[in-house]
Amino acid sequence: MSEETEKPTPETTEKSVAKQEEVIELPALEKGLSEKLTSKFGEKTSIAFVKENRVRVDVKKEDVHDVAEFIRDEMNFDHVESVTGVDFPDDKEIEVVYHIGSYTDNSLANQVLTLATRAPREDIPIPGKDGTRLPTLRDIFYSVEFHEREVFEMLGVYFDGHPDNRRLLLPEDWADLPPLRKDFAIKGR
Amino acid sequence: MTAELPPGLALQKVDERIMTLNVGPQHPGSGHMRIVVQIDGDYIVACDPDPGYVHRGEEKMAEYRNYITNIPHLERPVIHDSCNVLYPYVLGAEEILGIEVPERAKYVRVIASELNRCIYTQYWLAIYGIFLGHSTMFMWPAGDRELLIDLMEKMSGARVTHAHFVPGGVRNDLPANFEDACLRQVNYFEKRIKEYAAVFYDNPILISRTKDTGVLSKQDAIRLGTTGSVLRASGVDYDLRIKEPYDVYEELDVHTNVMKEGDSYARSKVPWLDMMESCNIIRQALQKMPKSGSVRTKLKPNPKTKGPETVYKRVESGRGSLGCYIVSDGKTEPYRVKMSVGSFRNLIALPYLLKGEKLGNMPSVYWSLNYWPVEADR
Amino acid sequence: MSVLAPKFKLSEFIKSLFDNAFWALLLVSLVGLPLIQVVLFYIEMPVINGELLTPFLALTWLADPSRSLPIVKAFMATDMFRVMVFPGFGFAALLAAGTIFVERKMLAKLQLRVGPFYCGKIEGILQLAGDGLKLISKEIIIPAKADKPIFWAAPVIFVATAAAFVALIPVAPGGWVVADVDLGLLGVFAIIGFFPIITILSAWSANSKFPFIGGIRALFQMVSFEIPLILSLLGVVIVTGTLNLSEISASQSFFPWIVFLPVGAIVFFITMLAELERIPFDLPEAESEIVAGWLTEFSGMMYGLVQLGTYLKLYAFAALFVVLFLGGWNGPMIVPPFPEEILTEGIVLGPVTAKFPGLPLFDQAMLNGTLWFVIKTVGVIFFILLPRGVFPRIRIDMLLSLGWTKLIGLAFVNIFIALGLLYAGVLGPGGLQ
Repeated sequence: MSEETEKPTPETTEKSVAKQEEVIELPALEKGLSEKLTSKFGEKTSIAFVKENRVRVDVKKEDVHDVAEFIRDEMNFDHVESVTGVDFPDDKEIEVVYHIGSYTDNSLANQVLTLATRAPREDIPIPGKDGTRLPTLRDIFYSVEFHEREVFEMLGVYFDGHPDNRRLLLPEDWADLPPLRKDFAIKGR
Repeated sequence: MTAELPPGLALQKVDERIMTLNVGPQHPGSGHMRIVVQIDGDYIVACDPDPGYVHRGEEKMAEYRNYITNIPHLERPVIHDSCNVLYPYVLGAEEILGIEVPERAKYVRVIASELNRCIYTQYWLAIYGIFLGHSTMFMWPAGDRELLIDLMEKMSGARVTHAHFVPGGVRNDLPANFEDACLRQVNYFEKRIKEYAAVFYDNPILISRTKDTGVLSKQDAIRLGTTGSVLRASGVDYDLRIKEPYDVYEELDVHTNVMKEGDSYARSKVPWLDMMESCNIIRQALQKMPKSGSVRTKLKPNPKTKGPETVYKRVESGRGSLGCYIVSDGKTEPYRVKMSVGSFRNLIALPYLLKGEKLGNMPSVYWSLNYWPVEADR
Repeated sequence: MSVLAPKFKLSEFIKSLFDNAFWALLLVSLVGLPLIQVVLFYIEMPVINGELLTPFLALTWLADPSRSLPIVKAFMATDMFRVMVFPGFGFAALLAAGTIFVERKMLAKLQLRVGPFYCGKIEGILQLAGDGLKLISKEIIIPAKADKPIFWAAPVIFVATAAAFVALIPVAPGGWVVADVDLGLLGVFAIIGFFPIITILSAWSANSKFPFIGGIRALFQMVSFEIPLILSLLGVVIVTGTLNLSEISASQSFFPWIVFLPVGAIVFFITMLAELERIPFDLPEAESEIVAGWLTEFSGMMYGLVQLGTYLKLYAFAALFVVLFLGGWNGPMIVPPFPEEILTEGIVLGPVTAKFPGLPLFDQAMLNGTLWFVIKTVGVIFFILLPRGVFPRIRIDMLLSLGWTKLIGLAFVNIFIALGLLYAGVLGPGGLQ
């Protein structure tokens, strides 16, 4: 669970976007992205890592909406590629990770900004009616619609404000635990 | 009443004029999914895709197996494109396990993934043909596909489910004389697919049926987060093989095919053009490939990871960008594997495009989204 | 130990033989013999060669070929023969079966595959028989909420209507037509008008959504294409001045009407494809949209009957095209005349000489006419089948606009051409004909 360990942002070097340099020197573009976020939100965001083409930001669930809006409006990211829910039963939290990319800005084409937030986890989940809730990002990134529906059914994270919080992949009469939680065990394993 | 029901199970009140059609899951025009279509006369007023009929829990299964034994089951979502489906996982696993890939293996991977892209696209094209009632276009691609399947069989030993990519390279080296056979068959294949234009792509009935139907504008394609051929057909020049080259793609001369129209016709034509581009890439890779050398960095049966880490790797598959997010907690099994597949991302455009469309356009718009139901369900 | 019948006992086998023989004898003596008596004694027999067909003569003629041919000839002169065998149902069904086989093989060759191959030694020639047996042996499933009498009746009515259409087609000169009606073409229009009604009845009675949509589509399609169809044939009627199909056929002894009325022929061919629901106009059965259209709920032999009716209809339309535009049975005489010496001297086989009174069974003109008719019909059927390998399906709005605007306009152009030819004196009295 490396997401918890905050790395201080490393040193800056100049780098062209299309070609990569030596791996040790962290590229400037990614560093610029992370600095843009920290300068705007300060303590609210924590940069988990800055790697080549990948920047990861951890935020609290109260701030995720504002940060996402800033990412879309000021940083030219325009679509969410993937929304992943990761269950951490030891921390009593469920992490939801948005991988955000950009089609419009050519310099950001190879970048994936990872926005992670955490929702409280309940041991006996009642999907949609318990405290495992997050604000939806659908009004910011339209493309999260089906991804968030999938996270809701697979991990029981209810997205407040999502217009269509229905089951997507699972059958309508699924009454067991949300299957991607760690305490849902596969038979025989 | 809605208070009693779980979220999303509210009863609907519909107009007398509206007829609700369950297209699928047992319907010749749906694949393994259901599209609940509400029609008013011949016009679709609402459409609700309902995937999940072939959900197999690949992501859950991946949490119980180590990095090597995950390979054969993670390629199942799209067996026709199994090399590309496995590609991001293998790249991610290599980063987590900290191993290097030999140069020759990278070229073999490029050749295999381009062959697989053509195999998948041929299958997709065959179904697109039969969805439009064009039975010749069903049989021709399904038959010409065999050329490349034979090549993959020579290369990996399996016709469809290859499980050829492993962390650290590919499973076997190429057989003797593979280069000549590959070049010959790929050249013939390219000649064949060029003939499709005469019977299919230049057919006036096809053009009048698919032009200006299901138009996805450039802004909407970006906003909906579509990917792959759907995105390129709407005028966005985005191909991960160029934008974020992995393995040896940056040493090859890759071109993308972009069309401005964004209608069903453009969406059906872009994969066909991509196949010709794949043939070019295969020829280049065969030329530049080191003639000998290792193709695999051997691993222990249950390899150790470097430590807790998260990686997100993307490749360009037959259906667009395919991302694999692997969370590792330092154990020999991944903590969480998430496949962000192109089919699932393109599905969101379906209700958007079908609204207000005629019922007769449903199959052509639906299948032009380059949607593979099994992959979307995972 | 036999694998096929592990509990085989010879005694039981012999006993079953005796059992079967007993039941056969019983049934023959109780049912068969009285039936023969009734037929022989109570039904009025025809007079052949001046002799009444008594039971005694009937039985002797069975053994004597020189006496059996007149019986066959007398039978061929009956209406029953015409309806069931030659220009009627049997002939049409044979051509339809050939059409299905040719369609499958030809489509397979177009698509670089083999087609039916294993059933029957030669190129899968028995595939159709196999498919028919399969359809007969399948269970017939009726939807629970279907309107059962109409649902059962629809396939039968469909085949009957198609057969009625077949009955109006003249095949050879000399009255080889089931129903030689003076207003034959009007009869054709009336029969074509029945098909949408049958379609919508079966679709409605199935009480299911996809058949309903398919039935509505078929209704739209057939109604919108019936008008150009009728208009495109009016040109021929104007030129010939008759509605009798045999007379129309006979009027083309010098040149077929397609020479003068090509526009009408093209319009009729397109509308024919639409009426037959062939690709590119197979919207009522559009598989990827509405499963199988109005055929969705049919199963087993009900589906088989509808298919039979469809192919009978295909033959009838192709034959109508031949009769109206391609000159029907007219063509150069290529059938050799019946050898005279057989009539005068009989067949000499060494020491034995057999004389057959009643030969020839068919005259030369009839055989030649049938041959030309079949050749032309097969050609037209080939062109009806060909688009299936080339075209995708059209969309309903494009189809309707095609039918209501372009084809009707072209059909009127055709009528004006016919009128112009008539008034200019090219055709008609004083002209070429």
